Amino acid sequence: MLLIRIVLVLGCVLAAAACGDRSTGSAAVTLVFKHAKILGPSDPVPRLLREFEARNPGVRVRSESLPWSSDEQHQFYVVNLEGGNAGVDVLMLDVIWVPEFAQAGWLLDLTPFLEPSELDGHFPAAIEAARAHGRVWALPWFMNVGLLYYRKDLLDKYGLRPPETYAELIAQVRRIKSGERDPRLDGFLWQGKQYEGMVVNVLEGFWANDARVLGPSDTVFPEPERAEEVLAFLRALIEEGISPAWVTAADEELTRRPFQDGRAIFLRSWPYAMDLFGLPDSVVRGKVGIAPLPRHARGTRGVGSSGGAHLGVYRQTRHPEAAVALARFLASEVAERAMVEGAALSPSRMALYHDADLVRGHPSFPAIHTLAMAAQPRPVTPYYLMLSTVLQPELSAALVGIKTPRQAVAGARYQIRHLLQSVR
Amino acid sequence: MTKRQRADRRTGLLFLAPALLTLGAVTLYPAVSVFWLSLQYRIPIFGIARFAGLDHYAFLAADPRFLNAARVTLGFTAASVALELGVGLLAALLLRRQRAGRRAALSLLLLAWALPSVVTAKLFEWLYHPTAGLVNVVLGGHAFNWLGDPRLAVAGVILADVWRTMPFVALLCYARLLTISPELYEAARVDGAGGLAIFRRITFPLLRSVLLIALSFRTLDALRAFDLMFVLTGGGPANTTETLTVYAYRSLFQTLQLGLGSAIGVAVFALVMLVAWVYLGMLHREGTAA
Repeated sequence: MLLIRIVLVLGCVLAAAACGDRSTGSAAVTLVFKHAKILGPSDPVPRLLREFEARNPGVRVRSESLPWSSDEQHQFYVVNLEGGNAGVDVLMLDVIWVPEFAQAGWLLDLTPFLEPSELDGHFPAAIEAARAHGRVWALPWFMNVGLLYYRKDLLDKYGLRPPETYAELIAQVRRIKSGERDPRLDGFLWQGKQYEGMVVNVLEGFWANDARVLGPSDTVFPEPERAEEVLAFLRALIEEGISPAWVTAADEELTRRPFQDGRAIFLRSWPYAMDLFGLPDSVVRGKVGIAPLPRHARGTRGVGSSGGAHLGVYRQTRHPEAAVALARFLASEVAERAMVEGAALSPSRMALYHDADLVRGHPSFPAIHTLAMAAQPRPVTPYYLMLSTVLQPELSAALVGIKTPRQAVAGARYQIRHLLQSVR
Repeated sequence: MTKRQRADRRTGLLFLAPALLTLGAVTLYPAVSVFWLSLQYRIPIFGIARFAGLDHYAFLAADPRFLNAARVTLGFTAASVALELGVGLLAALLLRRQRAGRRAALSLLLLAWALPSVVTAKLFEWLYHPTAGLVNVVLGGHAFNWLGDPRLAVAGVILADVWRTMPFVALLCYARLLTISPELYEAARVDGAGGLAIFRRITFPLLRSVLLIALSFRTLDALRAFDLMFVLTGGGPANTTETLTVYAYRSLFQTLQLGLGSAIGVAVFALVMLVAWVYLGMLHREGTAA
């Protein structure tokens, strides 16, 4: 869900609409690389694959598109990998699926193929998401991090600096709204629809108040009151008009548009939006700043959630050596640089964020680097999707006010415990 | 049976065989295997695969989420089908009376029906947008939070469904209306019947069987409703729009609880079969009465 905002598949039908070429060569080895459609000025993947073929004589790579939404991609993988007839060697994975697929036995353990320091160039949160049981199951490819967009022009006008706490954010919204007297100007936009993106928003709130969903040895909501405070806070944002009521049905795009039309002061979103805010027809062009997410009263610091895509290798591939080589090539600095140049994506390699050539085209890269360094992955566990599915209706119920924060946390806690018991 | 008849019979069966085998392969086999799956604990990511008997069904009988999904499904079906039949019938009657622009009106109706439901859902996502959406503008600039308010979300989904499938009912009724002989109406008018009486005594009785068919199709479709709510609300807020098939989908493909998900699928199947059976009985009676 998160990734598709940047990487979108345009309605391709599974295998039939395979992108890329269909080389009929008599190469000894043919690899299949499944990936989401890469959006941006020019898709660099075909060129990279040709380059890989040139470097590895006898190896051919066919790239095939995945369906358009993250949910459908997951479904596609599950059906085909579980059926044992995957027809794929290298897979592009949403970062939250890596431990799940590893546990299911669908991914090749990459550890023996890697140099000891090979992952060091990637963001720590991306590396953490690639590991399970002390082994590496995937290579980081794209990085995503939750952050706060703010209207630089408005904050400057009132002599304000980006808020460090949510209390400050609220005060700033009140101040600016009463000064602007514009009924069409909203305060703080975020994603509260019942979907994965909302879970990310609420988790970021939990972390900003030092609350966790899973504690050590799988304790569930070790700090329930802190979690309840966050849910009560989010509900209050809506009730007090700091956030419009419709955030409870909003995803990334639904919140990006009004912000881009100059109708909001703050927006929590991902780095992809920055490029769009800079477009010539954008009302807020040159008026947007990036800041870390604020923290709550009892929290140590505000934390953005990491997201993004990894590259995995199918365990039953007939060509493990070649497939791993392809994944390593695509995750190399050369390839990631090419991806940044041709596609609207943030790479997983830290060095690229301070590369003079790239920064010229992406002035916000150094700022995003800082935020991504501090990013935190969602709970890295094979049952993350189960966890999220249980959390979604409970958190949603608290946001729309049909359950109290206490009821929602208690409900989620009960179900997650039940879940953990049933899978042990 | 003569030798000749027996040979004919054999040839007949031979010709039928491919169709029967195909039908068996594409419907019977999957149905049986889903039922078999529903009797097991099967969670591939944890390597869980063991026989469960009727455990999943026992769990569902007390599962608040399942009961909620069943309630949402039935409520959605009742409301959307009733509205679709009512509005569709009205549209057909208006269409019949209309002189000019009938072809344009028919094309517009068809367009709404021909759009893939995911496209319809995306369309309505913007129509319902609380500040920029057309629906709220038409309603006088109210900031109704259509998809984010638990009291409105079901209504929002129903409205989108009615918009999408009402044309199906309208076209069926319209086609039937065209076959009603004008002489019937003339005769009625000569006998002094008013508009309402004509509708009650002539039009409606003649439309009954077609309405019954539309009712069956729409109910069976609505009971399996999935894509509209999946795209529009994701089942939210707070599961107020989560239907049985959305719950089944989440269990099967998102959390990979293949046994539990299959059990929900079987429950939906049983519900649909039950309703289909009732309708078939009604259609049969209608057929013999006519």
